[in-house]
Amino acid sequence: MSEAQHGSLRLRVDRIEPVTPEINRYTLSAEDGSWLPPFSGGSHVRVLIPFDDGQTRRNAYSLMSSPYDTSKYQIAVRRIHDGKRGSITLHEKVREGDALLVTTPANLFPLSKHARHHVFIAGGVGVTPIYSQLDELNLKGGSFELHLAVRGPEHATLGRELQEIYGERVRLYGDGDGSRLNASDVLAGRPLGTHAYVCGPARMVDDVIGAAHAHGWTDSNIHFERFEDLGSTGAPFSVTLARSGAVIEVSPEQSLLEAVEEAGHKLPYLCRGGACGECETEVLELDGSIDHRDDWLSESDRCTNKLIMPCVSRATCTKIVINA
Amino acid sequence: MLITGIKSRPVYDELTPMATGLSHVAAAQGSGGGVLVRLLGEMTPEQLATTTVLYSTESFTGKNHLADLQAFPVRELLVFPSNTEAVRGLDAFLLTAEMGTRLYLSGSEGFIGTSMQVATSYGMNTDEVLREHAGSFVRRVWCAHCSHYSENVTRRVFRCPGCERDLVVRDHYSRRLAAFQGVKADGEVPGELPDDEELDT
Repeated sequence: MSEAQHGSLRLRVDRIEPVTPEINRYTLSAEDGSWLPPFSGGSHVRVLIPFDDGQTRRNAYSLMSSPYDTSKYQIAVRRIHDGKRGSITLHEKVREGDALLVTTPANLFPLSKHARHHVFIAGGVGVTPIYSQLDELNLKGGSFELHLAVRGPEHATLGRELQEIYGERVRLYGDGDGSRLNASDVLAGRPLGTHAYVCGPARMVDDVIGAAHAHGWTDSNIHFERFEDLGSTGAPFSVTLARSGAVIEVSPEQSLLEAVEEAGHKLPYLCRGGACGECETEVLELDGSIDHRDDWLSESDRCTNKLIMPCVSRATCTKIVINA
Repeated sequence: MLITGIKSRPVYDELTPMATGLSHVAAAQGSGGGVLVRLLGEMTPEQLATTTVLYSTESFTGKNHLADLQAFPVRELLVFPSNTEAVRGLDAFLLTAEMGTRLYLSGSEGFIGTSMQVATSYGMNTDEVLREHAGSFVRRVWCAHCSHYSENVTRRVFRCPGCERDLVVRDHYSRRLAAFQGVKADGEVPGELPDDEELDT
């Protein structure tokens, strides 16, 4: 299996397919043809996008290939004119045969293992994490349906691709028939044990959460991933590793764990999503506060400011020294 | 006593109306009926009108709160002569229940535990359920040898009705089985039984 070097895998771009006027799908594999690290449905990677001026951007993209085929990773990149130029650079500069650095997959949008029925709601390119989730459910035999909103027939390619595979379980809105996705209608009258997953623009995510609450749903059955943020991003800060004395800069789009790995150091990890507890690290000195974003530490552990989960949590500080 | 040194024993809640729920189902047994009387008393008229009550009159301590429960204008009050039938009634209710339902349980540990098994099978989460213990802490015991379940066990050492082995009740509760574990009492030295004692019921 391919192993990450300095926290990232060097992958070859095998294929670039335009799937809508704005979205390209990239198929990536290991340069030596070996298996890639495994992942679960809903996982994402960060692509390290090099700029001509030597700077690197780290954009997160969901893996849309099957979790049961790790000979390749597939991502879909929507061209966004946001001034940061990450997706534009991928569209304009990267060609088939090029090499890209990609981080090890992490999952902040996993499937509930206890759900009796899964309802997915997505807008546009938000369908990408759902690709791998449906693959996982289809193999395990889970019950599901997908409601996908698109801006017009020319943007519906991915939705139609899923309809080919899953038939009536995939419902498209905005594909030329004048239909509109109404979150409240989709969630009304659902049997106990139904879980909802939403990925799309902020307004859609807020709409679905609001509709679910209005129908009396509790938070444990509502799962979402927003385009705008991914769990581990935030303001930059620097961290000192006590054992080597190394001072490492953590940039806005990378996690503390990724920054440490990029600098050539190792920290233990498993889930990279703040859930498993493997990367728990002692904080020896702190001048500021820790921004805990994990689901692992207890409230009392958090208050002590003595522990941090480097895979998702950050710090707002002038100094932080960790026991690593 | 509610406070025990048994780490695996569930920590129970206090029943109070869950305001975000749109439909409510409250199931109780014996002394748990008194807890439901308090819960229903705290509900708004709208909440009462969307509440189904299931009550089993089976009781270890002999307490019956049926008359008090009948005073509330709830959507539905279903009465059962045994805990087993009440749990079956809960199963039938949850079969057609929708998201937005909140479940309240009160009574013996065995009743709460077996009701929770049903709720879990319908995918209900802990934030949709409240449980309050009432009455005696008699134990439901699962025999590790023949899988027989014994209700209302009060002694440390007892004979399993399923396999006739003498069992010692360990202070180990399984939420999955909704029971304490009973293992052969003289497994180490045949014929040598540990000291019997009254359990902390």
